[in-house]
Amino acid sequence: MKQRCNHLVWGLAMVLCIGSSVLSAQEVLPEESTFKEPVTKFWVNTYGNIRISKRLFWDAQTHFRFEETESTPFIGQIGQIYNRHAIGYIYSKKFNVSLGGVLRVNFNTDASSTDRNVVPEWRIWHQYQFAMPLSSMMVYHRIRIEHRWTQGFAEDSAYIFRNRWRYMFRLKVPLNNDTFEPNTFYLSPEAELIMQSGKEVVDSPLEDLRLTTTVGYILTPRLTVAAGVMYSQGQTLENGGVYKQSWTVRCHLYFSPDFRRVKNKLPAIHFDD
Amino acid sequence: MILARVLFAHNIVWLMITKLRTPSLSLLTFALLLLFSFEFFAQERQQFSGAFQVGKFKGEADYSYKVIESDTILDGPFQMERSNLGALLESKDHFFSFSGAFEDDYPKGNWKFQFGEFQSDSSAKVEGYQYRLNIRGIQHEAQGTLQQGKPDGEWTYVVSQIANATVNDTLYSSSIAFDAGVPQKSFRIQDQNGTLVGRFLRNGLAHDVWTFYAEDHGKANQSWYFSEGILTMVETEIEGRVKTIPIFPKSDQSTKTVDLDSRYMAIARLKMRSGDTLHFFEQGIPPLLKANRLYYQKIDRILGELGKAAFMPDFQVKVPHFPMDSVEKSQFDTIKVLYQKSNTIRQNLLKNTQLHILRRSDAEAQFLYAVVLAISDTYLEPLGTLVGYGAVDILDYVSREELMQVLWPKGKPAKKVQIDERGDGTAIRTFVGPEAQHFDFDSDGISVVYQLADYAFLSLDSIQQQLGQKLVNEKRQQEFIALEEQLISSANALNRFIDSVAKSLPRPEREALMRIKGLVDSNLKQYSQTEEAVTKLELAKTLLVCFRHFHGLAITISEIPTRWQTIQETYKDAIWNPFTATIMNEEVKKRITTAYRKLVIPYLLDTVREKLDCGTAQELEQQMDGVYQRVLQLREENTSKLERKLRKEQDPEVILQLLDLTFLPKKQTD
Repeated sequence: MKQRCNHLVWGLAMVLCIGSSVLSAQEVLPEESTFKEPVTKFWVNTYGNIRISKRLFWDAQTHFRFEETESTPFIGQIGQIYNRHAIGYIYSKKFNVSLGGVLRVNFNTDASSTDRNVVPEWRIWHQYQFAMPLSSMMVYHRIRIEHRWTQGFAEDSAYIFRNRWRYMFRLKVPLNNDTFEPNTFYLSPEAELIMQSGKEVVDSPLEDLRLTTTVGYILTPRLTVAAGVMYSQGQTLENGGVYKQSWTVRCHLYFSPDFRRVKNKLPAIHFDD
Repeated sequence: MILARVLFAHNIVWLMITKLRTPSLSLLTFALLLLFSFEFFAQERQQFSGAFQVGKFKGEADYSYKVIESDTILDGPFQMERSNLGALLESKDHFFSFSGAFEDDYPKGNWKFQFGEFQSDSSAKVEGYQYRLNIRGIQHEAQGTLQQGKPDGEWTYVVSQIANATVNDTLYSSSIAFDAGVPQKSFRIQDQNGTLVGRFLRNGLAHDVWTFYAEDHGKANQSWYFSEGILTMVETEIEGRVKTIPIFPKSDQSTKTVDLDSRYMAIARLKMRSGDTLHFFEQGIPPLLKANRLYYQKIDRILGELGKAAFMPDFQVKVPHFPMDSVEKSQFDTIKVLYQKSNTIRQNLLKNTQLHILRRSDAEAQFLYAVVLAISDTYLEPLGTLVGYGAVDILDYVSREELMQVLWPKGKPAKKVQIDERGDGTAIRTFVGPEAQHFDFDSDGISVVYQLADYAFLSLDSIQQQLGQKLVNEKRQQEFIALEEQLISSANALNRFIDSVAKSLPRPEREALMRIKGLVDSNLKQYSQTEEAVTKLELAKTLLVCFRHFHGLAITISEIPTRWQTIQETYKDAIWNPFTATIMNEEVKKRITTAYRKLVIPYLLDTVREKLDCGTAQELEQQMDGVYQRVLQLREENTSKLERKLRKEQDPEVILQLLDLTFLPKKQTD
């Protein structure tokens, strides 16, 4: 436990350090930071967690992200289709790690653009998640590190490489039960700070700060639905003095099938016992 | 030894032949005769000496005997005795000694018998190289002469009390003269109460006056007057007051010579009973004669065991003789049987506790009970006495009139038995036995006794039948009361149970319980409207069982919610939810649990509501229990096939079959 906390502190310190060095290099900045008008978005996210052995699972996520158009808020157009996959390892009930890749398909949402409509984005990511019970709640700390290759919509746009440093703090509070069990509503406030680094990142290390509140409902141990609203803000890559903002309605579907034979499921969860 | 005797005889003959050099023929003949007779004698007679048992007497015997055709014939002196010094010193010794002689198995000559029960004071003296012990106790000594096994000459029997090694007192003594077993002349028997003196004729018949002189002046002297064997009268005299009782008055009646034994006493007692004399036989002559007889019997048994003997002194008397003819004998045999039967009925009735209870509340039963008592007194008691006379074989010696007089001194009983129901003569009720008109009690003799016995039996039998029916009814009534109490308490318990659980149960269960409650009420109503006793009793028994089944079913129904909880707990798997990182319980095999909860249980509850009756209650309970247990079992079994079958199945009966549980037969559920 102590060791895990050390890791967390170390990670945070590193993120802050990088941020401050980038800021100090800023040269052409507005007098005051400016905030763009918030954009409204609508995300539909599916999270698959498919057990493949006692300790390994396949993390399969597909997200559909819509955003407003001038005429239609939230779901005016498709923004990204997002495929995130990884192999996860359950170290214990309280800690698991994942390593995998992401293919994000980015759609050009600039109506005036004449560039390409669709470009891919590649990532390698790894994640370290801590879960701990606190009273009847659960507290989660998630550190996710992504190595990201992106390109613009321009025809000959080259890939640029960036690292993303993400930390998320999340609570899940059961509302109509003392424990998480089927037919339980829960409230999940979360805050995620996404920092970035790379040659292209000069004065905008704070890519995104996401503040979300979600209400979820556990249908079965293998199926949960949730919906919530997220506010986010972050520096634009082009100018660290300019902040983009968004309001996003998020809908989630969590499913965790287990196709293993019955005899292999047992013991199902007592990892350390 | 026999060989030695033979050699000896031969030697004599040889001597006679050699010493008499000119033996004459006659002398030779004599010698040969002597030889043969000696040889015969010497070969047969043998001597025994050792342990021997005669009846209950075990001791050391010493006697001579012959063996003829493998039979042992006592012949010659006989001696047998026993004394045990160890037993004497320890507590007491039973000593005896018999001595005498036999001739061809007949006791002959002087005999002496001694029996003693001695104790020692354990102080001994040594005199002349011998230990001398003082003894005390009782000694019996009998001695006299026997001829051909019969007493001949004077016999004495003396019982003495011994103290300090001397005769302290004579407790009893008798002295009787015999001639070839027949008592003769005068005799004398004496004990501590008095002395009896009497005499016999030469043929052994009692004669003249037998007188008992009491030792104590306060006690009665007694005289029996015999006339050639016939006891004409008995006279008692206390301090000058004389009382005379005629026994067998002289008459032309034929007589029979009998032994003066217990049977004769019974006849005399019967005669005296009619003369209303009390306690005559407990004092005076009869006890002395009885004691004498017992002592002679003792000797007779010993001699009888050893050889051929007839030691019993035949004190002869004559009694009037009224022999029963064959008709009377057969009637008497029937009387015995009837009496036994009647007596059994009487005892059964009088000892019947149920009758004792019944008669307190039932006037008829009380009346019949009183009749049984009356018949018992007026008929059975005398009949019992008569049967007793028959058993000691004295009926041939009592005239029929006298017999009737003895048995029914107040006259023969009437056919009508009158019962004073209130005890004050204001409510006389009469019982008449069955077929009374066919009985005639007017005559005398065995035939009328036979009729009395028959009438008594028929009466008692009919009473038994009447009371029997009443007792059966009474028993049934008691059974009814007990059954109804059980029935009501069983129904109450069931209703209380249903009331206590129904509120907390879901509606289908509650309605099923209400149905049970309704059935209990309607069944009780039906029971109360049933009038025929036998049917009602059967119905009560059936309902009792039925209510027990209803109760069981009600308990099972009340347990359905908790059973469902148990099933839910059982059908849970703890599994890992990766999104909450917690362990969650997952319901498994939901098709089975759903089929149970949504199809089978509602179906069974419907069946309870719609088709429950006494016949189906137990099966429904078993069905509910069975399906619950089966569902619990299935948790651990491989049920993939079953679950597949259950997927589309909606028919509860088919589901029950799939669960290996067949439901109630169609005919009962239809």
